[in-house]
Amino acid sequence: MYPAITIKRLVKTYRGNASPAIDRLSLSIAQGTVFGLLGPNGAGKTTLINILCGLRSFDEGEVNIYGYALPRQWKEIKTLIGFVPQEIALYPLLTAYENLKIFGGIFGLRGAVLDNRINELLSQFGLEQSKRRTLQNFSGGMKRRVNLIAGILHRPKILFLDEPTAGVDVQSKNVILESLREMNRQGTTIIYTSHYMEEAEALCSHVAFIDEGSVVCEGNPAEMIKQQPGCTSLEMLYLQLTGKKLRD
Amino acid sequence: MLVRDKAGLAMMFLLPVLLVIIMTCLQDSTFHAVHENHIPLLLLNRDTGSLGVAMEKQITQSGIFDVHKSINGQPVTEEQLVTAVAKGDYLVGIMVPEQATVNIRKNVKRYVAGAFNGKALPPVADEVQVAIYLDPAIKSSFRTTLMSSLREYAVRTESDFIFNEIIAEVNHLSPIPITDVHLARNQVLFTEQYASLKERDKIPNSTQHNVPAWSMFAIFFITISLSGNIIKERDDGSYTRLRLMPCPYSFYLFSKIAVYFGVCVLQFTALMLLGVFVFPYLGLPPLDAGVDYFALILTCTSSALAAIGYGVLIGKVAVTHQQAAIFASISVVIMAAIGGIWIPVFVMPHIMQLVSHISPLNWGLEGFYAIFVRGGNWTSVLPESAVSLLFFALCTGAAIWYNKRKRIDL
Repeated sequence: MYPAITIKRLVKTYRGNASPAIDRLSLSIAQGTVFGLLGPNGAGKTTLINILCGLRSFDEGEVNIYGYALPRQWKEIKTLIGFVPQEIALYPLLTAYENLKIFGGIFGLRGAVLDNRINELLSQFGLEQSKRRTLQNFSGGMKRRVNLIAGILHRPKILFLDEPTAGVDVQSKNVILESLREMNRQGTTIIYTSHYMEEAEALCSHVAFIDEGSVVCEGNPAEMIKQQPGCTSLEMLYLQLTGKKLRD
Repeated sequence: MLVRDKAGLAMMFLLPVLLVIIMTCLQDSTFHAVHENHIPLLLLNRDTGSLGVAMEKQITQSGIFDVHKSINGQPVTEEQLVTAVAKGDYLVGIMVPEQATVNIRKNVKRYVAGAFNGKALPPVADEVQVAIYLDPAIKSSFRTTLMSSLREYAVRTESDFIFNEIIAEVNHLSPIPITDVHLARNQVLFTEQYASLKERDKIPNSTQHNVPAWSMFAIFFITISLSGNIIKERDDGSYTRLRLMPCPYSFYLFSKIAVYFGVCVLQFTALMLLGVFVFPYLGLPPLDAGVDYFALILTCTSSALAAIGYGVLIGKVAVTHQQAAIFASISVVIMAAIGGIWIPVFVMPHIMQLVSHISPLNWGLEGFYAIFVRGGNWTSVLPESAVSLLFFALCTGAAIWYNKRKRIDL
């Protein structure tokens, strides 16, 4: 079985910047994994995710997603991926149901199929009772759950998540993480960025530490912790590998 | 989503309606102020002769002045007249000097006697100076109109008086008496009418000018909402989400254009209906929407698309919501100013008249004028509509190019 994502010697330099944001980065992400992209601010995680989603160009290297090459086959790739941005990318004056109806419609879902899918996900995420309320009246955790549902309506093969649990309470976080595990069990490959090391340790089957545009270390979190002397958690390993210097 | 946004809807529909009503009422009242309303005038007639009486009669009978000759029941003095006008109690003050009739009569006598004796025409011995005082707060355009009316009455009175005096002097000297029967004034008659491309019953008025002008302004103000919406979607990640969905960018762009086009058409229709059906209840002339509805649709469509194209471009190029809002609002006000929305293009300096041709608001306005006040048809509005559609295509093309460049190059 070929990997879900293959990246070879990827280079991206933003115009006007001397140093590259992504510097000869190579990575292979197997199908069916929950892959954590971890690193300090400005390490290049968002740039990498944007490139993988086709939202940014790159200068050198190769990127393949399920056998399709970027940027040439972006159109095909778009049908395979789901994206959940860190921001609440929804329309606040519409209800949860109306928001999902719009996004599902653009994904090509129609009629009863779309209705059933929306109701199924709203129920799974504990939002069935609130589906007719406008989003502006939702709590932060509820909005984040709807934000996630909008990215998975079409059952993507790969799901990109940018800080999916930022600023939510423990209950919402638990529902989100449980749902992600369930999706992964059903075969969805999940690419996930977060600053919560404990969460990443619990959720990810594979992680890569990125710093200054390159992969510093990658592997199974438990094995990586075991291999590093004096480390008992992913956070300790992270600090050892990326240092304690502030990054802005 | 627009339907849920009550404040946004109010901004898009109620504000333009208010704007059109207020501006039409203001301009209509300015028109009436000169021609129908009674302008407060303080008159001090120191001449006891027939010239003073004739001038007073002309001013009173003109119907446009509310003539006062006293303050608090006391006859006005020259000093009081100047003070009252300076304070704004009266818009105009007129002072006819003493001996005006005597002096004019003396001049006529000298003139006629000289003519009968074959002498060279003697110079005017005593000029009569009628002083006109104006409220300093009066607008220069109103002052020009007012002075023009006053001069007309003054000249008429003066010529009537001199003519009668000449007849009297001639009859006194000549054995054959003459009368003014065959020398009646107004032998040259001016007929005034508006040139129109079609037979029309109605003449242009404040409604015909203001409804299209301020409708254009309202249509272009949609750029603020549209550009703000594009930036908001970009900032909150909705745009990214939409970009990653299996639909082309053109679908996203044209669905947005379609929604805002619908809003523009509704807005324009509401303003037209307001002009046709509501204005008469407000004491304003009703709007005559012309005879060629296809021309109206063509002009409305091209103007709306020009405004939308401009809004899309601003939304794509501007970095922040504030930047877009400030740029869009100020640029629309500038384009309105140079496009003839506030001041007609023909009264602008030559250079500004040339500049007005680059304003998309001017193209739309000229199109609407062609329909509403010149009685034109769809061929009359074709040049303006074509330029507006070209502007839309250029703006949208530039927005697509800029979007692609941002995605690829940054």
